[in-house]
Amino acid sequence: MSETRAPLDRERDPGVEEILRGRRQRAPVSRKLPGPIAWFDLRSRSTGHLAFSLNRVTGLGLVAYLYLHLAVLSQLLGGEDAWNGFLEVATTPLFLGLDVLLVFGLLAHGLNGTRVALVGSGFVPNRQKALFWSLMAFGAIVLIYSALHIFGGEA
Amino acid sequence: MVATAPEPSTRSRSWRWTAFTGVSLLALVTIHMVAHHFVVDEIGGLRTYQHVLDYISTPIIFVIEGVFLVVVTVHAMLGLRSVLLDFGLNERWRQRLERGLVALGIVTVVYGFILIGVLASRA
Repeated sequence: MSETRAPLDRERDPGVEEILRGRRQRAPVSRKLPGPIAWFDLRSRSTGHLAFSLNRVTGLGLVAYLYLHLAVLSQLLGGEDAWNGFLEVATTPLFLGLDVLLVFGLLAHGLNGTRVALVGSGFVPNRQKALFWSLMAFGAIVLIYSALHIFGGEA
Repeated sequence: MVATAPEPSTRSRSWRWTAFTGVSLLALVTIHMVAHHFVVDEIGGLRTYQHVLDYISTPIIFVIEGVFLVVVTVHAMLGLRSVLLDFGLNERWRQRLERGLVALGIVTVVYGFILIGVLASRA
Protein backbone atom coordinates (compact mmCIF):
# COMPACT_ATOMS: atom_id res chain seq x y z
CA MET A 1 0.00 0.00 0.00
CA SER A 2 2.67 2.46 1.03
CA GLU A 3 4.56 2.00 -2.32
CA THR A 4 1.48 3.09 -4.36
CA ARG A 5 0.81 6.22 -2.33
CA ALA A 6 1.12 9.59 -4.16
CA PRO A 7 4.32 11.48 -3.43
CA LEU A 8 4.23 13.89 -0.54
CA ASP A 9 3.54 17.54 -1.30
CA ARG A 10 7.10 18.55 -0.49
CA GLU A 11 8.36 16.17 -3.20
CA ARG A 12 6.24 17.70 -5.96
CA ASP A 13 7.82 19.55 -8.82
CA PRO A 14 7.44 23.29 -8.15
CA GLY A 15 5.94 23.73 -11.63
CA VAL A 16 3.16 21.23 -10.84
CA GLU A 17 2.47 23.00 -7.60
CA GLU A 18 2.12 26.27 -9.48
CA ILE A 19 -0.42 24.75 -11.91
CA LEU A 20 -2.43 23.23 -9.06
CA ARG A 21 -2.40 26.53 -7.19
CA GLY A 22 -3.82 28.22 -10.29
CA ARG A 23 -6.62 25.62 -10.53
CA ARG A 24 -7.70 25.94 -6.93
CA GLN A 25 -10.89 27.87 -6.36
CA ARG A 26 -10.02 31.38 -5.28
CA ALA A 27 -11.74 32.64 -2.19
CA PRO A 28 -14.17 35.46 -2.97
CA VAL A 29 -12.69 38.88 -2.37
CA SER A 30 -14.61 40.90 0.16
CA ARG A 31 -15.36 44.34 -1.31
CA LYS A 32 -16.86 46.83 1.05
CA LEU A 33 -15.74 49.94 -0.76
CA PRO A 34 -18.32 52.27 -2.36
CA GLY A 35 -18.54 52.36 -6.20
CA PRO A 36 -15.91 54.89 -7.30
CA ILE A 37 -13.39 53.87 -4.63
CA ALA A 38 -13.75 50.23 -5.70
CA TRP A 39 -12.24 51.19 -9.09
CA PHE A 40 -8.86 51.20 -7.38
CA ASP A 41 -9.40 47.78 -5.81
CA LEU A 42 -7.66 45.58 -8.36
CA ARG A 43 -7.66 42.34 -6.31
CA SER A 44 -8.62 39.40 -8.55
CA ARG A 45 -9.84 41.79 -11.23
CA SER A 46 -9.79 41.16 -14.97
CA THR A 47 -8.25 43.22 -17.78
CA GLY A 48 -11.76 44.59 -18.38
CA HIS A 49 -11.87 46.04 -14.87
CA LEU A 50 -8.39 47.50 -15.27
CA ALA A 51 -9.54 49.14 -18.52
CA PHE A 52 -12.70 50.47 -16.85
CA SER A 53 -10.74 51.95 -13.93
CA LEU A 54 -8.18 53.47 -16.30
CA ASN A 55 -10.97 55.07 -18.31
CA ARG A 56 -12.62 56.56 -15.24
CA VAL A 57 -9.39 57.88 -13.70
CA THR A 58 -8.11 59.39 -16.96
CA GLY A 59 -11.58 60.83 -17.65
CA LEU A 60 -11.65 62.63 -14.30
CA GLY A 61 -8.11 63.87 -14.91
CA LEU A 62 -9.12 65.24 -18.31
CA VAL A 63 -12.16 67.03 -16.87
CA ALA A 64 -9.87 68.67 -14.31
CA TYR A 65 -7.50 69.57 -17.15
CA LEU A 66 -10.37 71.12 -19.18
CA TYR A 67 -10.95 73.72 -16.46
CA LEU A 68 -7.24 74.21 -15.83
CA HIS A 69 -6.81 74.77 -19.57
CA LEU A 70 -9.58 77.39 -19.65
CA ALA A 71 -7.97 79.13 -16.66
CA VAL A 72 -4.56 79.11 -18.37
CA LEU A 73 -6.02 80.40 -21.65
CA SER A 74 -7.61 83.25 -19.70
CA GLN A 75 -4.03 84.58 -19.37
CA LEU A 76 -4.38 85.57 -23.01
CA LEU A 77 -7.00 88.13 -21.99
CA GLY A 78 -4.25 89.85 -19.96
CA GLY A 79 -2.35 90.67 -23.17
CA GLU A 80 1.03 89.73 -24.60
CA ASP A 81 3.06 90.26 -21.41
CA ALA A 82 0.80 88.00 -19.36
CA TRP A 83 0.98 85.29 -22.04
CA ASN A 84 4.77 85.56 -22.39
CA GLY A 85 5.08 85.18 -18.64
CA PHE A 86 3.05 82.00 -18.83
CA LEU A 87 5.11 80.68 -21.78
CA GLU A 88 8.30 81.01 -19.74
CA VAL A 89 6.83 78.73 -17.07
CA ALA A 90 5.12 76.41 -19.58
CA THR A 91 8.36 75.58 -21.36
CA THR A 92 10.15 74.37 -18.22
CA PRO A 93 10.85 70.61 -18.11
CA LEU A 94 8.28 70.12 -15.32
CA PHE A 95 5.45 71.63 -17.37
CA LEU A 96 6.54 69.84 -20.53
CA GLY A 97 6.40 66.63 -18.48
CA LEU A 98 2.82 67.51 -17.54
CA ASP A 99 2.08 67.95 -21.27
CA VAL A 100 3.33 64.41 -21.83
CA LEU A 101 1.08 63.27 -18.96
CA LEU A 102 -1.80 65.00 -20.73
CA VAL A 103 -1.01 63.14 -23.96
CA PHE A 104 -0.92 59.89 -21.95
CA GLY A 105 -4.38 60.67 -20.51
CA LEU A 106 -5.80 61.53 -23.92
CA LEU A 107 -4.39 58.40 -25.54
CA ALA A 108 -5.43 56.05 -22.72
CA HIS A 109 -8.93 57.52 -22.51
CA GLY A 110 -9.42 57.96 -26.26
CA LEU A 111 -8.16 54.55 -27.33
CA ASN A 112 -9.89 52.74 -24.48
CA GLY A 113 -13.09 54.64 -25.24
CA THR A 114 -12.77 53.64 -28.89
CA ARG A 115 -12.59 50.00 -27.78
CA VAL A 116 -15.69 50.40 -25.61
CA ALA A 117 -17.62 52.13 -28.42
CA LEU A 118 -16.60 49.57 -31.05
CA VAL A 119 -17.44 46.55 -28.92
CA GLY A 120 -20.53 48.12 -27.34
CA SER A 121 -22.04 49.06 -30.70
CA GLY A 122 -21.32 45.62 -32.16
CA PHE A 123 -18.94 46.86 -34.89
CA VAL A 124 -16.17 44.47 -33.86
CA PRO A 125 -16.30 41.01 -32.25
CA ASN A 126 -16.03 40.91 -28.50
CA ARG A 127 -12.26 40.45 -28.17
CA GLN A 128 -11.88 42.98 -25.40
CA LYS A 129 -8.55 41.84 -24.00
CA ALA A 130 -6.70 41.61 -27.33
CA LEU A 131 -8.20 44.90 -28.49
CA PHE A 132 -7.28 46.64 -25.22
CA TRP A 133 -3.63 45.58 -25.27
CA SER A 134 -3.26 46.25 -29.03
CA LEU A 135 -4.61 49.79 -28.62
CA MET A 136 -2.44 50.39 -25.56
CA ALA A 137 0.65 49.24 -27.51
CA PHE A 138 -0.28 51.66 -30.32
CA GLY A 139 -0.83 54.39 -27.71
CA ALA A 140 2.59 53.74 -26.18
CA ILE A 141 4.26 54.27 -29.58
CA VAL A 142 2.34 57.55 -30.15
CA LEU A 143 3.18 58.65 -26.60
CA ILE A 144 6.93 58.11 -27.12
CA TYR A 145 6.79 60.04 -30.41
CA SER A 146 4.83 62.87 -28.76
CA ALA A 147 7.18 63.04 -25.76
CA LEU A 148 10.20 63.33 -28.04
CA HIS A 149 8.50 66.09 -30.01
CA ILE A 150 7.31 68.03 -26.95
CA PHE A 151 10.79 67.97 -25.43
CA GLY A 152 12.21 69.26 -28.71
CA GLY A 153 13.77 66.09 -30.08
CA GLU A 154 14.11 65.03 -33.65
CA ALA A 155 10.76 63.20 -33.87
CA MET B 1 -31.44 56.79 1.04
CA VAL B 2 -32.75 54.39 -1.57
CA ALA B 3 -30.57 54.26 -4.65
CA THR B 4 -32.39 54.17 -7.96
CA ALA B 5 -30.84 53.44 -11.32
CA PRO B 6 -31.83 55.62 -14.27
CA GLU B 7 -34.41 54.19 -16.69
CA PRO B 8 -32.88 51.90 -19.36
CA SER B 9 -33.85 54.34 -22.15
CA THR B 10 -32.03 57.18 -20.33
CA ARG B 11 -28.97 54.99 -19.84
CA SER B 12 -29.01 53.99 -23.47
CA ARG B 13 -29.43 57.57 -24.69
CA SER B 14 -26.66 58.75 -22.40
CA TRP B 15 -24.37 55.94 -23.62
CA ARG B 16 -25.07 56.80 -27.28
CA TRP B 17 -24.31 60.49 -26.71
CA THR B 18 -21.13 59.63 -24.81
CA ALA B 19 -20.00 57.33 -27.64
CA PHE B 20 -20.96 59.83 -30.37
CA THR B 21 -19.19 62.78 -28.71
CA GLY B 22 -16.24 60.51 -27.86
CA VAL B 23 -15.77 59.43 -31.47
CA SER B 24 -16.10 63.07 -32.63
CA LEU B 25 -13.48 64.06 -30.08
CA LEU B 26 -10.96 61.64 -31.58
CA ALA B 27 -10.82 63.91 -34.65
CA LEU B 28 -11.25 67.22 -32.79
CA VAL B 29 -8.62 66.50 -30.12
CA THR B 30 -6.17 65.32 -32.77
CA ILE B 31 -6.63 68.59 -34.72
CA HIS B 32 -6.34 70.65 -31.51
CA MET B 33 -3.23 68.85 -30.24
CA VAL B 34 -1.45 68.84 -33.60
CA ALA B 35 -2.22 72.55 -34.13
CA HIS B 36 -0.99 73.50 -30.66
CA HIS B 37 1.95 71.18 -30.15
CA PHE B 38 3.16 69.85 -33.48
CA VAL B 39 2.96 72.76 -35.94
CA VAL B 40 4.88 75.54 -34.18
CA ASP B 41 8.61 74.93 -34.21
CA GLU B 42 9.29 75.91 -30.60
CA ILE B 43 9.99 73.89 -27.46
CA GLY B 44 6.62 72.45 -26.42
CA GLY B 45 5.11 73.68 -29.70
CA LEU B 46 3.33 76.53 -27.88
CA ARG B 47 2.21 79.57 -29.86
CA THR B 48 3.20 83.16 -29.13
CA TYR B 49 0.48 85.71 -28.32
CA GLN B 50 0.25 86.98 -31.91
CA HIS B 51 0.29 83.39 -33.26
CA VAL B 52 -2.70 82.55 -31.01
CA LEU B 53 -4.67 85.59 -32.20
CA ASP B 54 -3.92 84.86 -35.87
CA TYR B 55 -4.82 81.21 -35.38
CA ILE B 56 -8.14 81.71 -33.58
CA SER B 57 -9.31 84.51 -35.88
CA THR B 58 -9.19 82.22 -38.93
CA PRO B 59 -12.91 81.49 -39.56
CA ILE B 60 -12.57 77.73 -40.09
CA ILE B 61 -10.37 77.38 -37.00
CA PHE B 62 -12.84 79.46 -34.95
CA VAL B 63 -15.65 77.08 -36.00
CA ILE B 64 -13.56 73.96 -35.31
CA GLU B 65 -12.47 75.23 -31.87
CA GLY B 66 -16.09 76.23 -31.10
CA VAL B 67 -17.40 72.78 -32.04
CA PHE B 68 -14.55 71.23 -30.02
CA LEU B 69 -15.54 73.30 -26.98
CA VAL B 70 -19.19 72.20 -27.19
CA VAL B 71 -18.45 68.53 -27.87
CA VAL B 72 -15.75 68.22 -25.18
CA THR B 73 -18.04 69.88 -22.61
CA VAL B 74 -20.98 67.59 -23.42
CA HIS B 75 -18.68 64.54 -23.21
CA ALA B 76 -17.17 65.75 -19.92
CA MET B 77 -20.58 66.39 -18.32
CA LEU B 78 -21.89 62.98 -19.42
CA GLY B 79 -18.74 61.35 -18.03
CA LEU B 80 -19.05 63.21 -14.72
CA ARG B 81 -22.71 62.18 -14.51
CA SER B 82 -21.78 58.57 -15.05
CA VAL B 83 -19.08 58.72 -12.38
CA LEU B 84 -21.28 60.47 -9.83
CA LEU B 85 -24.16 58.04 -10.40
CA ASP B 86 -21.79 55.31 -9.19
CA PHE B 87 -22.34 56.73 -5.71
CA GLY B 88 -25.87 55.33 -5.85
CA LEU B 89 -27.87 58.57 -5.68
CA ASN B 90 -31.62 58.51 -5.17
CA GLU B 91 -34.02 59.99 -7.74
CA ARG B 92 -34.15 63.42 -6.10
CA TRP B 93 -30.36 63.78 -5.98
CA ARG B 94 -30.00 62.35 -9.46
CA GLN B 95 -32.24 65.11 -10.84
CA ARG B 96 -30.32 67.77 -8.91
CA LEU B 97 -27.07 66.36 -10.25
CA GLU B 98 -28.32 66.44 -13.83
CA ARG B 99 -29.55 70.03 -13.51
CA GLY B 100 -26.24 71.04 -11.93
CA LEU B 101 -24.24 69.43 -14.71
CA VAL B 102 -26.38 71.09 -17.41
CA ALA B 103 -25.78 74.47 -15.70
CA LEU B 104 -22.03 73.82 -15.39
CA GLY B 105 -21.88 72.77 -19.03
CA ILE B 106 -23.68 75.93 -20.20
CA VAL B 107 -21.40 78.17 -18.10
CA THR B 108 -18.34 76.39 -19.50
CA VAL B 109 -19.44 76.74 -23.12
CA VAL B 110 -20.49 80.39 -22.70
CA TYR B 111 -17.18 81.29 -20.99
CA GLY B 112 -15.21 79.43 -23.66
CA PHE B 113 -16.99 81.26 -26.48
CA ILE B 114 -16.44 84.63 -24.77
CA LEU B 115 -12.75 83.74 -24.47
CA ILE B 116 -12.21 82.72 -28.09
CA GLY B 117 -14.52 85.52 -29.31
CA VAL B 118 -12.53 88.22 -27.48
CA LEU B 119 -9.24 86.77 -28.74
CA ALA B 120 -10.48 86.53 -32.34
CA SER B 121 -11.65 90.15 -32.20
CA ARG B 122 -8.17 91.31 -31.15
CA ALA B 123 -6.41 89.92 -34.22
